[in-house]
Amino acid sequence: MTAAFSLKSITKRYKHQLALDDVSLEASSGKVFALLGENGAGKTTSLRILLGLTRPDTGHAHVLGLDSRTQGQEVRRRVGYVPEQPTLYEWMTVAEIGWFTSGFYALGFLENYRRLVADFGLPEYRKLKDLSKGMRAKVALSLAMAHEPELLVLDEPTSGLDSMVRREFLASMVDVAAAGRTVLLSSHQIDEVERVADVVAILRQGKLVVCESLDELKGDIRELTIALKNGSPSAPEVPGTVIHRQMKDRNWRLLVRGIDEQQAESVRSNPEVGSVEVRSPSLEDIFVGYMQGDSFVSQNQ
Amino acid sequence: MFFNIDPRNGLAIYDQIVRQIKFAVANDSLRSGDLVPSVRELARELAVNPNTVSRAYRELQSESLLATVRGTGLEITDGARKQCRQERVHLIGERLRSVLLEAKQSGLDAEEVRTLFDRELSKVVNQR
Repeated sequence: MTAAFSLKSITKRYKHQLALDDVSLEASSGKVFALLGENGAGKTTSLRILLGLTRPDTGHAHVLGLDSRTQGQEVRRRVGYVPEQPTLYEWMTVAEIGWFTSGFYALGFLENYRRLVADFGLPEYRKLKDLSKGMRAKVALSLAMAHEPELLVLDEPTSGLDSMVRREFLASMVDVAAAGRTVLLSSHQIDEVERVADVVAILRQGKLVVCESLDELKGDIRELTIALKNGSPSAPEVPGTVIHRQMKDRNWRLLVRGIDEQQAESVRSNPEVGSVEVRSPSLEDIFVGYMQGDSFVSQNQ
Repeated sequence: MFFNIDPRNGLAIYDQIVRQIKFAVANDSLRSGDLVPSVRELARELAVNPNTVSRAYRELQSESLLATVRGTGLEITDGARKQCRQERVHLIGERLRSVLLEAKQSGLDAEEVRTLFDRELSKVVNQR
């Protein structure tokens, strides 16, 4: 299978700020790929480099087999892109902007656009400047999806939207994925990502800390809460890789990677250990663990 | 049937779908011959990834609880009810065991747990 998009050893610096530090990742087509990270972690920069809107200092970006640096225009024609704050011609109506945009795309655009606008229940003859935030977002999404792109790129698609609109956005993403096309989104909404993503990449201060299937990530990580008998100041030895550790009154809480239930149970046989509680963490717990973890865990693939 | 998906509850989403279908079959809200929604429909309804739904369906098929019907989709098989009822005992047993383990770790002895269990059970039974 060819990759839907890839970054190879991408580094980007804005003045003194290192936005992306040697980031490499690859996504196969037909997946929902989610980019997670705090504000300023490099999510938007990654998307813009893929779309050929920002030039990386070093490294290569490819989208649908095209080179983002030299074939940026072709990339942008083939993908659908909804930026975090879409700029639209405010004086046009919902119908007019669809008609206007259809001029840049193949036949069929306008028909699809009209169908999407109707599905979203948008008022065709209202001017964009008079639309609510949720409606504007739906217009931007309709414009991005009307040419049925092989790759749909969404930058913080649901931030600031109410839960009904959010739900519609998620449903649209699900539809795109169900049709075998690829979705790339960046998000803060971890619970939404947990619902819809196949693959999750976590960026931390410009570095990629994790990039892998959500199921594997969740299946491979356990949270252990360990109560020590004598309150020894050092963390108990556990099998696997510790992502994050915390201590609070004689209790340790460890987020551990590569440990199965049986191995976790075996920690109980340690004479220092009073009790062990094993839990499957949510994606949010995992995210927070990676964000607070003291060492950068080596990249997986 | 209605699903109740909680991405944060520790169980993988596909597993939640599998369990809920099994429970629904066990308590007769889904019967043999009933069609389950298509992958796309259910993915849309639950706002979850379609691959997650297919994975759940594949698992149910490999356990012979779902079978393909020519041209129409996936239906609950004839033997599903019996199997799901057995499975229900097993799944609930697992949950119960983890609660009991927690009780043990908290320092309750067996007698205290038993009293507690009976008291809570009678509360639940009397609810209906």
